[in-house]
Amino acid sequence: MQHVFKLGEHEYQVALSRARQGYRLHLGERSIPVNLHREDDGSARLTVNGVSERVHLAVRGDEVFVHLDGASHTLRYVHPLVRLARQRHAAAEDEIRAPMPGSVVALAVQAGQSVTQGQTLLVMESMKMETTIIAPRDGVVEAVQVEKGQTFDRDALLLTLAPEKTA
Amino acid sequence: MRRIASRLNTASAEFRANAEHHRRLAAELKDKQRAARFARPQRDLERLRSQNKLSVRERLDLLLDPGTPFLELSTLAACEAYGGEVPGAACVTGIGIVSGREVLVNAGDASVKGGAWYPLTVKKTVRALDIAIENRLPVVHLCDSAGGFLPLQAELFADKYYAGRIFRNQCLLSKLGIPQVAVVLGHCTAGGAYVPALSDYNVIVRGTGAIFLAGPPLVKAATGEENTVDELGGCDMHTSVSGTADYPASSEEEAIAIARDIVGQFKRPQKTAIEWQPPEDPYYDPAELYGILPRDIKQQFDMHEVIARIVDGSRFHEYQPNYGKTLVCGYAHLWGYKIGILANNGVLFNDSALKGTHFIELCNQNKTPILFLQNITGFMVGREYERRGITKDGAKMIMAVSCSEVPKFTVMCHGSFGAGNYGMSGRAFDSRFLFSWPNHQIAVMGAEQAANTLADVKIRQLQRQGRTLTPAEIAAIREPVLAEFQRKSSAYWSTSEIWDDGVLDPPDTRPALGIALSCALNVPIGDPRYGIFRM
Repeated sequence: MQHVFKLGEHEYQVALSRARQGYRLHLGERSIPVNLHREDDGSARLTVNGVSERVHLAVRGDEVFVHLDGASHTLRYVHPLVRLARQRHAAAEDEIRAPMPGSVVALAVQAGQSVTQGQTLLVMESMKMETTIIAPRDGVVEAVQVEKGQTFDRDALLLTLAPEKTA
Repeated sequence: MRRIASRLNTASAEFRANAEHHRRLAAELKDKQRAARFARPQRDLERLRSQNKLSVRERLDLLLDPGTPFLELSTLAACEAYGGEVPGAACVTGIGIVSGREVLVNAGDASVKGGAWYPLTVKKTVRALDIAIENRLPVVHLCDSAGGFLPLQAELFADKYYAGRIFRNQCLLSKLGIPQVAVVLGHCTAGGAYVPALSDYNVIVRGTGAIFLAGPPLVKAATGEENTVDELGGCDMHTSVSGTADYPASSEEEAIAIARDIVGQFKRPQKTAIEWQPPEDPYYDPAELYGILPRDIKQQFDMHEVIARIVDGSRFHEYQPNYGKTLVCGYAHLWGYKIGILANNGVLFNDSALKGTHFIELCNQNKTPILFLQNITGFMVGREYERRGITKDGAKMIMAVSCSEVPKFTVMCHGSFGAGNYGMSGRAFDSRFLFSWPNHQIAVMGAEQAANTLADVKIRQLQRQGRTLTPAEIAAIREPVLAEFQRKSSAYWSTSEIWDDGVLDPPDTRPALGIALSCALNVPIGDPRYGIFRM
């Protein structure tokens, strides 16, 4: 499995595979023999390329705290699917469509307005039930296609967000 | 289990000459494989890049677990066909590790003729899916194909083992509870559309991926309806409207990461328990195989020396060491797994055929997979042997091989001629995997014998017309036949036609068989049952 760790602002793509003894760490084109041996006192002995060092490790959620050689480092784990989904925003996310047929109860934004992810864009009603449509990402509302009280079919275009400038 | 005592003199001139010859053959093999994998016209590579697509090799790198082996199958399929213009038969198949699970990969190669299906593409794909069925391997399809190659459609569409078989095999896999994931990385048109549709899971890339029975131009011609690719069969339509595709992805990288996550949900198989002990490297260096193999197809060599360079610790328990000595039979371990081995040390006589039959029955009784190491010129011929019933003894061996329930594996180490090919589990006998070495030759008879036979027929025909031929005229008849026969009995012809699952560099045989054995043990081994042995 390719894993991604952030150390400071830098991202490292690494993978671990089994070797006859211990493991191999794959970093780009390089393959480095590694092993981690847990000691009784809660510390661990990390062997990289035959060189052993004592380390202290703690894990909290996606963060790994490493004490190594008198310095402390924080690694942040990023799941590959999260990273890749973030990498390129789906064009589909620019268009906000109706999940079911219904009518507009309230419009919370207007064209040109900046919105943040999770912010309410509009409230619709369908089958005696109110549904809140939220912004899938941060951005600017490009156009609002519906008016309050208007009825629409499933998949009707409700709003569009201005496409993101890709870096 | 005793270690084989090698009698090989690695310092001899003979050994060194052999080693040099076979190392050269291995280097040629590697060159051909490298070319089949990577050598493409610049414009094809540029076209892929302009379409925002990765090459099939880059896709495989993203799919497979880093640092794990990939047993590529039939890399040199079609190497002797279509003027050499369809490397790998425009697809990649093989067995690799994805999210810690053994899977079969079936990937279209759009850098070759847009990934069009040639007759040998279909044959290679059908064989790969047969392997998945026989060994219960989940399948990852990386779909990127232009569809059937129309000029050759008569050789790939309608027959039993043609393109329809791909979809039939997909349905069978699903029925057996073996999951499949398809990743739609290009257009899946017409028949190709069924590959993702018949997969249990599929992922489609926005922008480049599309699924439809007919593309926009064909629809326009048929009904006049105008469509864009995206409207007709793009990612968002299929994942949100038609339900033909399951997971949308915004890039190839994301699509393959999703496929890895899907494979990560598969239940790991329970391997069939057979005799196993911790693996041990061969005591004798597998690289010495180069020096064992003779340079001449007609020359004999001792298969004990080959066995010693393939099996764990070079240890071998030989069965009936004094009887039917032209067929070496016995037990060994390979990557820890217990196997039975049948290996040719000469032509098959009555006693060797009977010994082989008995040993195959033993392996089936004690549920030991069998490895056949072929170097066979056939069953012995002549009045004496016919009177002793060489044909019925050969029939017994073929009966035992055909009805074997244990998984079989075959390696073509040198020659494979005549009915000996059948008795030693040739292609028609459903070995789970069959590999060849680069020096391998295979035909109904030896090239020289065939050329002489055909020349004789011709000479007698002309003699009846009152003509006698000069030696030069005889040579003019004989030489083209010999050349054609030699070409069509080479390992490269064999692998081009997919009579095997690939050509191996001999020292790679041990790891390849290790992967093959592990796959074969996904299936329980049934109790033995045979037809009638002619006594």
